[in-house]
Amino acid sequence: MTGPLRVWSLPWALLYLRHEVLALPGRTLALLFVLFLLLFPLFSQDPYWLRILTLTAIFALYAASWDLLSGYTGQVSLGHAFFFGLSGYTSAILGRETGLSPALTIPLGALLATLAGVLVGLPSLRVRGPYLSLVTLAFPIIATGLIFLFPRFTGGELGLSGLPRLGQSRLEEYYLVVVIFLISLLILWKLASSRIGLLFHAVREDEAAVRMVGVNTVRLKLLAFAVSALFAGIAGGLHAHYLRVAGPDSLSLFNSIQPVIWSVFGGIATIYGPVAGTFLLFPILEILRVTEELRMLAFALLILLVMRFLPQGVVRGVLDRLEEVCPRCKVRNAFTRRHCRACGVELHLPAAKEVKP
Amino acid sequence: MGRIGTAVLWAVALLLGSGVSAQTLRIGVVGPMAFVQGEHTWYGATLAAEEINRAGGVQIGNQRYRIELIRVDTNEMTSVTDAATAVERAITAQRVDFLVGGFRSEAVLAMTEVAADYRKIFIITGAALDGLLAGRVDRNYERFKYLFRVSPNKSSDLARTSLLLAGEVIQAVRQQLGIPRPRVAILAERAAWADPLVETAGRLFAAPPPQGYGAEVVGTWRPSATATDVTPELTAIQRAGAQVIFTVLSGPVGVPFGRDWGRLRIPAAPVGINVEAQQETWLRATDNLGTYVATLNSLAPGVAITPRTIPFISTFQARFRQFPIYTASGAYGAIHILAEALTRAGTTNVDAVVRALEATDYTGPTGRIVFDRTHDVTWGPGYTTGLGVQWVGGRMQAFWPRNWQVEGRVVSYAGVRPYQLPPWVVEAWRR
Repeated sequence: MTGPLRVWSLPWALLYLRHEVLALPGRTLALLFVLFLLLFPLFSQDPYWLRILTLTAIFALYAASWDLLSGYTGQVSLGHAFFFGLSGYTSAILGRETGLSPALTIPLGALLATLAGVLVGLPSLRVRGPYLSLVTLAFPIIATGLIFLFPRFTGGELGLSGLPRLGQSRLEEYYLVVVIFLISLLILWKLASSRIGLLFHAVREDEAAVRMVGVNTVRLKLLAFAVSALFAGIAGGLHAHYLRVAGPDSLSLFNSIQPVIWSVFGGIATIYGPVAGTFLLFPILEILRVTEELRMLAFALLILLVMRFLPQGVVRGVLDRLEEVCPRCKVRNAFTRRHCRACGVELHLPAAKEVKP
Repeated sequence: MGRIGTAVLWAVALLLGSGVSAQTLRIGVVGPMAFVQGEHTWYGATLAAEEINRAGGVQIGNQRYRIELIRVDTNEMTSVTDAATAVERAITAQRVDFLVGGFRSEAVLAMTEVAADYRKIFIITGAALDGLLAGRVDRNYERFKYLFRVSPNKSSDLARTSLLLAGEVIQAVRQQLGIPRPRVAILAERAAWADPLVETAGRLFAAPPPQGYGAEVVGTWRPSATATDVTPELTAIQRAGAQVIFTVLSGPVGVPFGRDWGRLRIPAAPVGINVEAQQETWLRATDNLGTYVATLNSLAPGVAITPRTIPFISTFQARFRQFPIYTASGAYGAIHILAEALTRAGTTNVDAVVRALEATDYTGPTGRIVFDRTHDVTWGPGYTTGLGVQWVGGRMQAFWPRNWQVEGRVVSYAGVRPYQLPPWVVEAWRR
């Protein structure tokens, strides 16, 4: 006699794996990606590659946080480095002044970044589009000015160095960052797929319509700013302690533009798009070190080419080729299937014959 | 001896041969290679490595080692993260034994953290901020004892030199124009590093002799480091009646300053720091309007700071068709210093090499290099001082130190000529 399957029982997990994960190429790739991250050190503990993957995970989280704000709600932030750098500096200063460990100072730094997110989000209630982007751009510039204004406190042009390490070894640091990255990503993904995520989309598409149905868009936009800043702050804190330096470079315009490039390259408003973009572009830039003179040129050309042929981003472009949406029930299917895995309808209907009058 | 014996002998010879060819010191030359600062770091290191290898390599104990340079492009002007990763790659993937170079202070800070993690000796040759060594080597010796700086002098020492140059020009105004209390304008770019220098200069210029220069400070102007026009500042300085302009400019603003100053014929002599005016392209960049501009520098054509200066400049120019900037002389000196320290240590053991480096007393192209307790290059008479240079007659000409009286001694370098006030300044103010 067999009873109903309990959720989280092993058979249920296996069935879920078979029918919900392995049935779709996109989810299979995501699973392989997670397994790759978790198992990579079993095959290589080369400190250089551990460093590349650790930094990539940090920047992927940073890019995903930008995507939640700019991709989903359409509040395009061109000053995201403000949250990243602010958290790094806060963690560094708190650690220096109080002697607290990074395990406490990084969350506190991220918390301050969250508050800063609300502060930066306030202008979004009045200004929109490119005007809002310009407002966000002003914040890291102001922060840099303040850093130079109080050099004894902030280290000025040089920044603060000698920050405590995240772990005792590169391997420990790697696993710590990867676990934080995966958990954060899961939270961001769940949030983006929830009702709130839908409302974020709606705000981007037609804010007035959302307000018409009684949704408080002010709260929604501030929430997007706060959550985005929180995760950018976590990334910033991890980055500062990984490099062991919190400097003005973390607030630079270049650092604000990077998540935009990664997100657009991977595919915006997806969360996993920016992650894929970062995990493709960051290591590629490293590999291109072999062609020192042509490195940046080759990198720019690569982005241009990909954007030319996959304008919706790499992830969307690839998934559109690997998966198909059922015309009847809208469930996604692998491109190899002839019938929908949910409703059984034929996916590739023959072209209707031309009827002669 | 049979065939087997011969074969064994060949095998032994091959093994020994491969052992000899493996005696190589791999030195990573780090810098922003797309920029002149990084490029000259590489050139200077190349010149030194070639000299050492031609002379048979580095003698360490009973072995001779060839120097192999590894070019490490740090991209540090754009990204500190990239710079630190490049250093980790150099250490772990490219297996360098030592590191030389670095330019942007913030990036060097991150790069040296990586070097300290791996206990690799890193000789800085391009970044000036004091805090790269002070507060690190002295406070946390065990971690940071691997860091040294050969060039430039630390920023506080560069500030001292620039103030001495200003004193020279103030004195020239006083003596040649008969103005007992010259008026000085301070023109400093809006940057954090310039703030303490502006403050000190203001106090020092106004203080009566012998502590100060007995001048009058007419005001301070702070254009952006990337300004493309400084006409308003220069017009205001002219209206304020200044005879001397003390410049603190490291950014591209140096070029528009030289161009506008020469075009408007501002009757005030510029002196101080103008990084753009240190380069041989200065006159071309300013359409020849930058003549008479004075700035501190580390080398000048025809000036023999030490017996090694002129040969270094000649060889460098013959080989690379450019006049060397300070990162070139720094990297050149750093490789020689490292080679000498390895020979003295007699081993490649890093702690022994650090101790040998600490005992360095090397006379290079820019002066005598002795490290202080923070592993920084010592500034002062008898060590490295820098030069005051001025653009006269279409070329860079040194005017300081010339009969510089300090600590009971007189410091002069061969080839240093007297400072020349711009003719329109003399014309405007001669009494």
